[in-house]
Parts: sequence; structure tokens; C-alpha cells
Amino acid sequence: MFALRGIAVSLTFFVLVYCLLSALAALSWRWLRWLRASERDLADILFFCRVFPLLASIIVTVAFVIPSFQLLEPRSTDEGVGTMPTALGLAALLLIAWGCCRVVSAQIHTSRAVSRWLAGSPPLGKGAQTVAFRSRRDAPPLILTGTRKPRVLVSEAAVEVLTTDELEVAIGHELAHIRSCDNLKKLVFRFCPFPGMVALETAWSQAAELTADDDAVRDVNDALNLAAALVKLSRLITAEPACTVGFVSGSLNERVNRLLRWEESRTVRRPRVFRWAAMPSLLAAAFGAFMVYGPSLAMTHELTEWLVR
Amino acid sequence: MKKTFPILAPRSTPQLGPFERQLLREVWSRGTATVRELIDVGYIHQAYTTVMTTMDRLYKKGLLEREIEGRAFRYSARFTSEELQRGAALDGIRQLLGSGEASSLPLSYLVEALSEHDAQLLDELQVLIERKRRELKDAERPHPNAKSKEQC
Repeated sequence: MFALRGIAVSLTFFVLVYCLLSALAALSWRWLRWLRASERDLADILFFCRVFPLLASIIVTVAFVIPSFQLLEPRSTDEGVGTMPTALGLAALLLIAWGCCRVVSAQIHTSRAVSRWLAGSPPLGKGAQTVAFRSRRDAPPLILTGTRKPRVLVSEAAVEVLTTDELEVAIGHELAHIRSCDNLKKLVFRFCPFPGMVALETAWSQAAELTADDDAVRDVNDALNLAAALVKLSRLITAEPACTVGFVSGSLNERVNRLLRWEESRTVRRPRVFRWAAMPSLLAAAFGAFMVYGPSLAMTHELTEWLVR
Repeated sequence: MKKTFPILAPRSTPQLGPFERQLLREVWSRGTATVRELIDVGYIHQAYTTVMTTMDRLYKKGLLEREIEGRAFRYSARFTSEELQRGAALDGIRQLLGSGEASSLPLSYLVEALSEHDAQLLDELQVLIERKRRELKDAERPHPNAKSKEQC
């Protein structure tokens, strides 16, 4: 009963912290737009904002709830689990199971589509580490798939309409996504579902696209080639009015205009400021948590008692 | 009817067998055709009833239009080859987007599906790109007056 109660209480804390922080992130992320950050930093910040609830709830559960229960809860008591921990514990299990199902279904869904697009398709060019493949004509024009072993699929139609330079810079854009592990990040999003997060994910996606544009372009010719590739590939999939799902007109317009305003100074790779700025904050938070760890455990245990009652 | 992308019921691109594709190519190349005309060309070595049934299936799949001509039907394609390919590509994207959580699928697209209304936007963007390319070429080319001044 002690172990069961411990598990229920831990899961209860996990789901409460997760939901509270997720609601906070879903409501407050728009304030981040006021930050004067580069697209690269904005993508990092939005990603952190999206996964923070999951990270924080795991840290709180593992670092505070489980130790406080183990250390401060008397083992001899014959206390029941309680209605609230049982209900919230089940909710947490359902949430985790749902997240796992979403990840698995996304993987299955994607691998099926990709195997269909890739049926009998040769690599695009020869090399020891070929990542670009020529997919079927009816496949999406240019797509990056996979997390462990990413592949860039270029449809036959895309190969026909793009010039060599345009194709090169367009593949460079997808390679930038590989370096940023963007597909893996999307899987992480799927693992931690919460209502109202779609807008945040879309904003991250747009920032990630602009970052990949920046990484792929070295000079003004590259910028023009990428802009031309964007327009040409968009034409390939511009068709019936019924097919308007996922339409982000502003995104394409913004991206092309941004590329047309390309300046050489942008090619200077600036360090990811957010990552370096976050380190001292994380260290300070860890130090603070260490200093008040004892009282925090006692407070957590009080909360646990309140929940179990 | 088996669809390539069953999640997109009404407007998705139907899956075609090899013979259906062959017939569709023939109709595209001829513009319009009756079953008899297709057989008389000599490329199709199937029974009249097989061709008729397959053409009827293509009509029911919404890929062909037909009108009565005497005692037979005259078929014409509803879509061009390019339109069908674009439709199939869009279907692929829509299937992935159809889950409502496209942004979180482990795929990255260079471009997203656009609506017909944005064809004008693409034209405008194309003009801007061409103009910028011309400006760049003009800037790289040495100015003719500069050379004549040097000679003076």
C-alpha cells in the first residue's frame, strides 16, 4: 500500500504541475513576440517554452515528490491511497499513454507515407552518406523525414522544375533542419499533448523554417535561389480550393520577402544567445533549489498529506 | 472504392491500376475517345467489354467525363496530367495534415499547401524575384559610361 500510495502521489504531482505549467505556457507564450531575438533564438525559446511543462513536472516529481515521500512518509501507517491521488494518478497514466500513442501513431503514419513515396526511388547523387532521395512524382515536392536517420525526399516533379543551384540550396535548407533535430523536436511535442499548444507549435515551426533559411543561405544568390525554389515548389502543390488545409500564406510571403531583403551581414553566424543566457539561470535555479532542498521536501510532504487526506 | 489516401474522402486522388493509367494516358493524348476508337488504335490488347468497364470505372472515379454519341459514350479527361499529379501531391500533404496536428508530425516541408487564391501571390513573388535578379546582374555588370570615361 505504501508503494502504491507513493506512485499515486508522484503521478498526481506530475499531472498537476504539468497541467498548471502547460496552461501557463499556452496563455503566456505570445508575450515572447516582444523579445528582440533572432529567429534562431526565438526558435530555441519557443521550443523551451513548449517542453518546459514536461521537463519541470518530471524534475519536480523526481527531485522533490519521490524523495519527500520516501524520507518523510511513515512506512508503518496503514493509510489508503485516497480518492484524489487515485483519480489524478490515473489521469497522469492516461496522459502518458496518450502521449506514447501519439508518438507511435505519428511514426507509423509517417513511415507508411514515406515508404510509399520512396518505392523504388534512387538516391539523388552518389556519396558515402547520401541523405537525399528522389521520390515519386506524386510525393510532396521536398520533404525531410526521419529522426534517427533523416532523409530528404525530392520528388521527380521538383527535380524537373528546379535548377541545380535552386535544388542545392533547397536541400541545404532541409539539411539545416537535420542539424537542428527539428523532426525529433516535433516528436517531443507529440509526446506532451495539451490543449491550446497548436499556436505555440506553429510559431516555433515558422521560426524553425526561418532559421533553416538563414542556415542554408550563404550569399544573395543563394537567397534568390531559395526564394525561387519556394515559389516554384509552391506552384507544384497549388491546386484545388478544396485542398487548403495547413495553408500559411503569410509564412511563404514573409519568407520570400525576407530572402529578397537578404544582407551579407546575416551570413555571419551568431552564437545562440538564448542557450548561453539560459545556462547561468539554470545554474542559479539549481543552486537555489539545493540551498532550500530540505524545507522544500518538508513542504512537498505537507502538500502530499493534504492530497492524501 | 479504394483510395490512395482514405482519410480524405470526397476529393482525394483515387488510386489507379496500370490498365486504368494506360487508358487515361490514351484519353489525354487523344483529347476525347470512345471505347471503339481506343481499341482500334492498336495499343490496347484487351476485350471491348474490359475496356468499357475500365472506362466506366474511371468515369465513376471522377477522372473522366462522358457524353452519349450514338449508342456509345465519348469520354474526355476531367483533369490534365499535371492537375492529377498536383492533386496527388496535395493529397499526400493533406493526409498528413488531416490528423489536425501536422506541425507535430516528424516531417519538415519546404513549402506548405496553398489555395488557388494564392496563385496570384506566387506570380507577384516571382516578379519580385526576377526583378531582384536583374538588379543583381546589372550591379555586377560594369557600367558602359565608366569605361568610356577611363578612355578619355
